Amino acid sequence: MSSNVVVLDNGGGLVKAGIGGERDPTYVVPNCTARPPSSKKWLLGDQLLSPTEDLTSATLRRPFDRGHLINPELQSSLWAHLFSSSHLNIHPPSSSLLLTQPLFTLPSIERYVDEIVFEEFNFRSLFVADSPSLVHLYEASRRPYGLVSKAQCSLVVDCGFSFTHAAPVFQNLTLNYGVKRMDLGGKALTNYLKELVSYRSINVMDESFIMDDVKEKLCFVSLDVQRDLTIARRPGNDNVFRCTYVLPDGVTYMRGFVKDPDQAKRYLDLDHKSHSYPAGEKGSINDKPQDKRTIDLTKNEFSLTNERFLVPEMIFRPADLGMNQAGLAECIVRSVNSCHPHLHPVLYESIILTGGTTLFPRFAQRLEKELRPLVPDEYQVKITTQEDPILGVWRGGSLLASSPDFESMCVTKAEYEELGSARCRRRFFH
Amino acid sequence: MDDEMSNSARRMSMRTRKVAPKMAAALASSDNRTQAMLARLEALENDNAGLATIQIDDDDEASLDDDVDEDEAYQKKQSKNTKRKTRQAKALENAKKAPRTFIELLNEANLESLPSHVPSYLTAAVGPPSSTARRHFCTVCGFSSNYTCVQCGMRFCSTRCQTIHNDTRCLKFVA
Repeated sequence: MSSNVVVLDNGGGLVKAGIGGERDPTYVVPNCTARPPSSKKWLLGDQLLSPTEDLTSATLRRPFDRGHLINPELQSSLWAHLFSSSHLNIHPPSSSLLLTQPLFTLPSIERYVDEIVFEEFNFRSLFVADSPSLVHLYEASRRPYGLVSKAQCSLVVDCGFSFTHAAPVFQNLTLNYGVKRMDLGGKALTNYLKELVSYRSINVMDESFIMDDVKEKLCFVSLDVQRDLTIARRPGNDNVFRCTYVLPDGVTYMRGFVKDPDQAKRYLDLDHKSHSYPAGEKGSINDKPQDKRTIDLTKNEFSLTNERFLVPEMIFRPADLGMNQAGLAECIVRSVNSCHPHLHPVLYESIILTGGTTLFPRFAQRLEKELRPLVPDEYQVKITTQEDPILGVWRGGSLLASSPDFESMCVTKAEYEELGSARCRRRFFH
Repeated sequence: MDDEMSNSARRMSMRTRKVAPKMAAALASSDNRTQAMLARLEALENDNAGLATIQIDDDDEASLDDDVDEDEAYQKKQSKNTKRKTRQAKALENAKKAPRTFIELLNEANLESLPSHVPSYLTAAVGPPSSTARRHFCTVCGFSSNYTCVQCGMRFCSTRCQTIHNDTRCLKFVA
């Protein structure tokens, strides 16, 4: 029975789809359609990942806006593509669906989703989960004797594509009164980087996919912004932050790459002198090592210096961007403070980071550095990173889907038809 | 709906625009500065930067799948033969179909009417930072900046950056 549960972690940036019980999702694809300027056809999901497609200046359409579903039609066509026989190959009337949805989804959006699931795809049953509780479930099962599973409680910091949530989870339920949200995520950071590069070197405003890649490969979180800014000012080779990214030209390179990966990693050595950090930290930037020093004027390239750490910096200080919102550390403190005082020490000791934006190198160290002064001395602060923050939610979902009483927690199609969307949704305690 | 969208597109356009002297004076007021700031923040959530490239309505021929394409074309032919839609009806249908922004949905949900103890999307926002201290970075080179442009309020750090700012950016993106 449990083998035909489809687990769908439907994020604003990536949709993770697979069969419940497996370790990894079968498909991790962008949740959008894109159309290159040269063609009339919109490319979906995995087609965007194929190396032969030229996505320069592609127009994007996303079903999500600010982290919430706004375009159900586009979403259902993306799902239909994923469920089709060439991909997941499932038969909805005989399968259940475990779907994640963002916290505080509006009732009108829930209604859309129910309609798609039951009326368009005719799924047998549906379970709607929120991502923090799934992350908690996964982490608790990974370490059965750890604090998370013993205390049955954790603070999940989900720093995703559209926004960042700090959510306390207790007994596998997200405490909704304790959830705090920052309206800043990976998408805003990519756009910010785009804006900076476009103003300073080359116009890349239309290159979302390329700039996503630049962000993932080159950006990192600074541990001491003032010091790093003075280093970034140095000329020539002393400036360990400068590195060059080569844009694809459509002839020899279809994908952009970091010109000199060793140069890009030099900033890590900087800290080996003053502090000591685990060496396993180094990002895997291994593109083309040839043509390191040769300057080719026919290539389009740009260099980054202080942008590399000033972009992720915005997660910690949104005020610098002009946003009237507290930073991540304060967000966590407020979230904890809205819970019962007995939970405070446990929550601070079981902070779990998840979501793609936490993949920036040294994200956790910086967060700890910011958080420590804000937390009372007698409490310990312990930040756990997930082994794969992008898939963490999906794995939790897969685990839940393979549990024996999963089917009894679902809303079936018959119940939906009998009671309607709003009544069925009450079962999920959101 | 369509009208609104094109309107907002006009407001946020990145194109350089000449500003009359009176207009320039008006723009320097703090209110317009905050507006420009908000527009900038809004732009961070955009999918496509060049707003002119979004043509949601024009992809009648373009569709997601080839075989669906044929189907649709066939249906279109049929519907053309059987029934002609008035322009108004078409506009209405488009308005229904057009994806709305999350902010619109949020306003529609009327969350303000909930009692204050019910957690909702609005109450979950972190709220303003505890200290209003803000670091300023030069909009030209990115280093910490000590000066503010008297005309538009953007930051720069040196005379060199000021010149670049005046030549390229000052009062060109606020409108």
